[in-house]
Amino acid sequence: MSKVTAAAPPSPLRAFWLKWRFHINILLLLVPLGFMPKYFADAALFRGDSGLGEREVGEVQVGPWSLKLAELRNEAPRPDPAGYMKAFNAALCATCGDQVKATYLRIGKPRSLRAAGVIFFGTPYRMGAVLPIPERTPADAELWITMEGWDGAMHQAAIPLSQASPATIAWLNKRGVKP
Amino acid sequence: MSKKSRSKIWFLVHSWLALPIWFFVLIVCVTGTLAVVSQEIVWLANPDVRASKPSDDAELLSYDQVIAAIKRAEPQVIVESLSRPDESHFALSVDLSYPDGRSLEVYVNPYTGVIQGISPSFNFKAFTRALHGWWLVPFTNGYSWGWYLVSLLGLPLLASLVTGLVVYKRFWKGFLKPTLRIKHGARIFWGDFHRLSGIWSIWFIAVISITGTWFLIQAILFDNQVTISSEPIVPVITRDKVPMSSPGVPSPMIPLDDAISIATQRIPGLEASFISLPSTAYSHLRIGGRGWYPLMFQTAEINPYNGEIAASHLLSDRSGLEFVTESMRPLHTGDFGGIWIKLIWFFFGLVLSMMVLSGLLIWSKRTALATLHALKRSAKTAPQSIPLLQADTLEGNR
Repeated sequence: MSKVTAAAPPSPLRAFWLKWRFHINILLLLVPLGFMPKYFADAALFRGDSGLGEREVGEVQVGPWSLKLAELRNEAPRPDPAGYMKAFNAALCATCGDQVKATYLRIGKPRSLRAAGVIFFGTPYRMGAVLPIPERTPADAELWITMEGWDGAMHQAAIPLSQASPATIAWLNKRGVKP
Repeated sequence: MSKKSRSKIWFLVHSWLALPIWFFVLIVCVTGTLAVVSQEIVWLANPDVRASKPSDDAELLSYDQVIAAIKRAEPQVIVESLSRPDESHFALSVDLSYPDGRSLEVYVNPYTGVIQGISPSFNFKAFTRALHGWWLVPFTNGYSWGWYLVSLLGLPLLASLVTGLVVYKRFWKGFLKPTLRIKHGARIFWGDFHRLSGIWSIWFIAVISITGTWFLIQAILFDNQVTISSEPIVPVITRDKVPMSSPGVPSPMIPLDDAISIATQRIPGLEASFISLPSTAYSHLRIGGRGWYPLMFQTAEINPYNGEIAASHLLSDRSGLEFVTESMRPLHTGDFGGIWIKLIWFFFGLVLSMMVLSGLLIWSKRTALATLHALKRSAKTAPQSIPLLQADTLEGNR
């Protein structure tokens, strides 16, 4: 055998490569391992085990009612075929459940109840709305919350978008206002 | 090109198709096999998901009775959806919204309405499916790249099937004369095993590779905003159709069981095996279930205030193309005919996993053998380079 090794001396590095080259794909297992913490964090987020959202905005008073608002994810709006979207979650105040028929979200003041913006889906304990963020949104824009009662009553409140989602403001600033 | 060298090329292609990614393919096969029976594994591991009958003559509760029982036990919770699994030994799966903001799946006894347990935060079923389906890579903008990575494997799998049948000459003879030589060493055994399990899995490998490739096409279509769906986009209930009421008094909705009976009377053949309650004051109640063709679902959207059917999506609404494309997922997962179909899929999933492993073993043993021969020869005579694969014997030429 010693003769053979003398006849063709492969470098140790090359021998190692030849021996293991078809097993390198085992490293692909690192992909799911790496994403596992994120997977479980997301699972907890959607179950509500880790709160209303990744970043709580706080309690917002809307006329006689109030809601707790949160950003589902503390990050910039995500691209979607329909434009850039930002997801918010909300929970109504403890006594509001039967009072409020619908809750809406919009950037800028709505002209009427019919244009109140996107509606929150879900239950008074946990509901979500996906808000389109126009690319030309000014950094000082306001987020308007409209709430509707079962008798048709309407109440509104606004908070600065910078308070609702600093990540969105950072994203808008980074993109610059498009002409 | 001679017939022999052509078949040699086919053989080389077959040998190399999965080799550089054998471990990835193996894990995808194993996780897929587990995902097929993940619901059953949960059933075995967690008594909460079993639908035990309190007595022999116990009858199934209606959905309204189930909701009433849940409300008695937990007055604060809000029921978001209910689903009756295909097999009667599973408890109802009900999504509940809790006052603390959690939204959880709970298991409810279909005979008593008792909440038997809350789904654990580690969801084995969802986890194995996510691992198998998209390698846990998150979906951020359209389909995740993990989905593409896994579904791309459909193509080499299909190519393996085709090249395998080409190089296995007169493979149909294998059905009549099954060969599995145990006493002739590992190389012979794994070769026989690979061929024997291969021919009996032709149908399964074809199904899995074609449906797997469909998942790739589906992602490409979706990410390019191409849709072939005939499903109607149901507009919300208009403002004037939602009755006004006094402050603090939500407009009353019709009982769930009434809504179901209205829908099933007007739409013959509609089953109500899952119910989604309206998620806003302007949303519909959605009920659905399998139709006469067990691989597809039929649904109806009902106005919860007056029982009017706003829209339905039935088998008869589907195009021929949709019958093909919508059948792909159940064909891939084996989830369309109960436990026995699932067990068949599970068994052949194991066989397919073993084929990846046996393919690798054959390759490494043959290479090791060929290397040994080459070394022996070069030790006897002057050193000369012998391409390892030329020292091979062709598969099927035995």
